Amino acid sequence: MTTPAPPILVLDHVSRRLAGRTVVHDLNLELARGDVLGLLGVNGAGKTTTLRMIAAVLAPSAGWVRLGGANLYEHPQLARRRIGYLPETPPLHAELTADEFLRFCARLHGIAREKVAGAVASVIDRCELGDVRRRPMATLSKGFRQRVGLAQAIVHAPELIVLDEPASGLDPVQALKLREIVRSLGRDHAVVLSTHVLPDVSACCDRVAILHRGELRHCASLSKPGGGALRVGVAKSLRAEDWLRLPGVAAVEPIDARHWRVQLVPDVAVSAFVARMVEHGFGLEEVRAETTALEQVFLAIAAADAPAAAA
Amino acid sequence: MSTTGLIARHEWRRLGVQPFAWLLGAVVIALMAWQFLQVLQGFIDLAPKLGGLKNAPGVTDLIAIPLLRSFANLLVLLAPLITMHAFAGERRAQTLPLLLASGIGNVRIVLGKYLGALGFVFVLIALVTLMPLALDFGTSLDVGKIAAGTLGLALFAAALTAIGIACSAWAAQPALAAAAALALGSLLAVVDAGARLQGVGNAGINYLALPTHLEPFFRGIVASVDIIYFVLVSGVALALATRRLDTLRSRSD
Repeated sequence: MTTPAPPILVLDHVSRRLAGRTVVHDLNLELARGDVLGLLGVNGAGKTTTLRMIAAVLAPSAGWVRLGGANLYEHPQLARRRIGYLPETPPLHAELTADEFLRFCARLHGIAREKVAGAVASVIDRCELGDVRRRPMATLSKGFRQRVGLAQAIVHAPELIVLDEPASGLDPVQALKLREIVRSLGRDHAVVLSTHVLPDVSACCDRVAILHRGELRHCASLSKPGGGALRVGVAKSLRAEDWLRLPGVAAVEPIDARHWRVQLVPDVAVSAFVARMVEHGFGLEEVRAETTALEQVFLAIAAADAPAAAA
Repeated sequence: MSTTGLIARHEWRRLGVQPFAWLLGAVVIALMAWQFLQVLQGFIDLAPKLGGLKNAPGVTDLIAIPLLRSFANLLVLLAPLITMHAFAGERRAQTLPLLLASGIGNVRIVLGKYLGALGFVFVLIALVTLMPLALDFGTSLDVGKIAAGTLGLALFAAALTAIGIACSAWAAQPALAAAAALALGSLLAVVDAGARLQGVGNAGINYLALPTHLEPFFRGIVASVDIIYFVLVSGVALALATRRLDTLRSRSD
């Protein structure tokens, strides 16, 4: 049995108020090495504020951001070597060349002078910036500027990489290239990226968290978009209590009069559940894995106006 | 190298590749060179009359010190122009998160920005000081007095640069930062003008004024009270800039 990797990043009941308004409310998240978490949400959902708090640019109003177990705001120096941050607008000093800028970023993040050249060469190679490395960044296209922005976030090989809308404004070819880079980063680092482009999440991430009005509304693995639930069709008219009396049922919610979304207790076999349904005379007509598409989940959450009930 | 030095060098490098800094430097040097030639010509015209005077003022008092005093006046305008981009420019270009996310601390960031701008100002001071020093080949100068004047000018510039950095940290736009720094620098330069016009020279209001503490240096007097004044003004301004960065972290931008 393998032990799960300890989380690099923990958001512990994090809230943030800006201009008298709660922008992020009671957010709990964990991220381990090798995780690529996509933070989804409509504009104003609190994605950028969350990423700023993770990157130590902004302090939370309540709660804690822990990096490797330590409170980031009591030990801000932890961010220097262990976090790489690409804001929505790449923070480039456009009058310099990419080479000069990345050398500065490497030193800023504590890379020893003798190792700077190697680190910069490696990141220029990884982000395919070789042809433009000696050109002033003011003359680069948006795609290349975005890649330089990504390069400054990873030049010091941080454990945690925070990317805010990394593919924003890129053409499809550039966006594809950037997704490939992000996907490759996920092998060695923990990555959290925000976007409202669903294909970016599907292509790059193995987990998705959906924020709406500053609250975490959905967090699941992308390999199991429905969270392992079953969609069950029955002939009889049932109540939730009838389902919950069945052994192995953890939660249930109605879809319509004849269809229910059923969540089983972990390790309970579907065949055993079906056998019990038949035994109790539920009038089973249909059972299949819930395959709610990410887009449906996202749109359903985005359309909901009422604040989420406490989990 | 410390992170403060790293940021200072980076600021220096950024200034070095911007036409604005070169243009500003060129205009300042041209203006001061023209003034130098003016006062030099004035001295040459006056020299025959000075020969007959007992304890007549020399080249140092009639050329070097007036030139340094004139440059001090120019610095009130120059320092805001050099410092306005330090933080306000970063905020406008949305590049400040690069420094804030680097985990190196607000004090080091402010000191790095300050030293970077001050380095540029010091180069200008050195170039202007070299003008009267060039006369040492043909005449004898009071090098001690010029050194005291240059020290005073450097401390005066350090205070104005710190005020400029503070204004740049507080304002969201570089032009607003420059205007605020110019207003504050000018206020500190003339705050005791009314008192001086009435012949009052040692009141509290005089103590607040920058020229009160600069003038002794131009007379060759290096007093610790004047040095402490400039250090205090610089320290308070840099503390306010640091405080502003703290606020930006807690308030967002």
